[in-house]
Amino acid sequence: MSTEESVHEVDSWRFTGGFLRKILSGNIPDPPTHPPIPWTPVAKPLSAAKVALVTTAGISMRGEEPFDMDGERRRPTWGDPSWRRLAVTATCEEIEVNHLHIDTGYIERDLNVALPVDRLRELVAAGEVGSIADTHYSIMGYQGASSAALESESAPQIAESMVSEEVDFALLAPV
Amino acid sequence: MGLVARKIEERGIPTVTLNMIWRFQAAIGMPRVAAIEHPFGRPYGDVEDRDVQSAVLRAALSQFETALQPGTVAHLPFVWHEVAKETRWHPAEPSPIIALMKKRRG
Repeated sequence: MSTEESVHEVDSWRFTGGFLRKILSGNIPDPPTHPPIPWTPVAKPLSAAKVALVTTAGISMRGEEPFDMDGERRRPTWGDPSWRRLAVTATCEEIEVNHLHIDTGYIERDLNVALPVDRLRELVAAGEVGSIADTHYSIMGYQGASSAALESESAPQIAESMVSEEVDFALLAPV
Repeated sequence: MGLVARKIEERGIPTVTLNMIWRFQAAIGMPRVAAIEHPFGRPYGDVEDRDVQSAVLRAALSQFETALQPGTVAHLPFVWHEVAKETRWHPAEPSPIIALMKKRRG
């Protein structure tokens, strides 16, 4: 579906409530202020592409260092800017979810609501998607007063990891 | 997350961002956005709702083949199965920053 074909404009505020809407709206400039948008042309069809998923849900593999929630509780204007690799075969039993801004219970019951590992495998089996990357990725979406560490450290590291694993397409989903 | 998409795209890998608050596009400038009207925490669909999860994943992935210019926002036609006021997505306790802001407001 292209923008031109859209018949339905998504309401960004349908679920936010008035308080959160007001906070979030304050961060949306009109007219837009974003810098020039980077663009890499798509070089192959989806059916031949290696796909990696990225979530902002604060998911980590059990036994590895979880995202730091105590730090955010001590300092509410700070959010953990680090990142994690996630096994592409991860199950709910193998992960933990740390994010203080959503009810994480849904993801803990079915990872696919935020990181559709099983659904992606099905699309590969059906021949619609070429293959799955070596790993998926998570950050924790709340960055507080500054996204500088995410932008200057984690994001380039994730990008570099994807390049080294020969990822063709990256599908990101904020929660 | 939009910042991460930009960095990945800059490094030569095409990205699609599935996004509830697609209006952040005005501040961030993401290469390809698939806007979705789902509650926070469940962008792809509800628990065990495999049909919707697959359909959202497929619709988001299709943007790699249909988005032709930087900054394209495609509005996906999915309608959440609960009315907004009955949709629970909030954490059990307010997040630290929300608690702080509400305290400051008195």
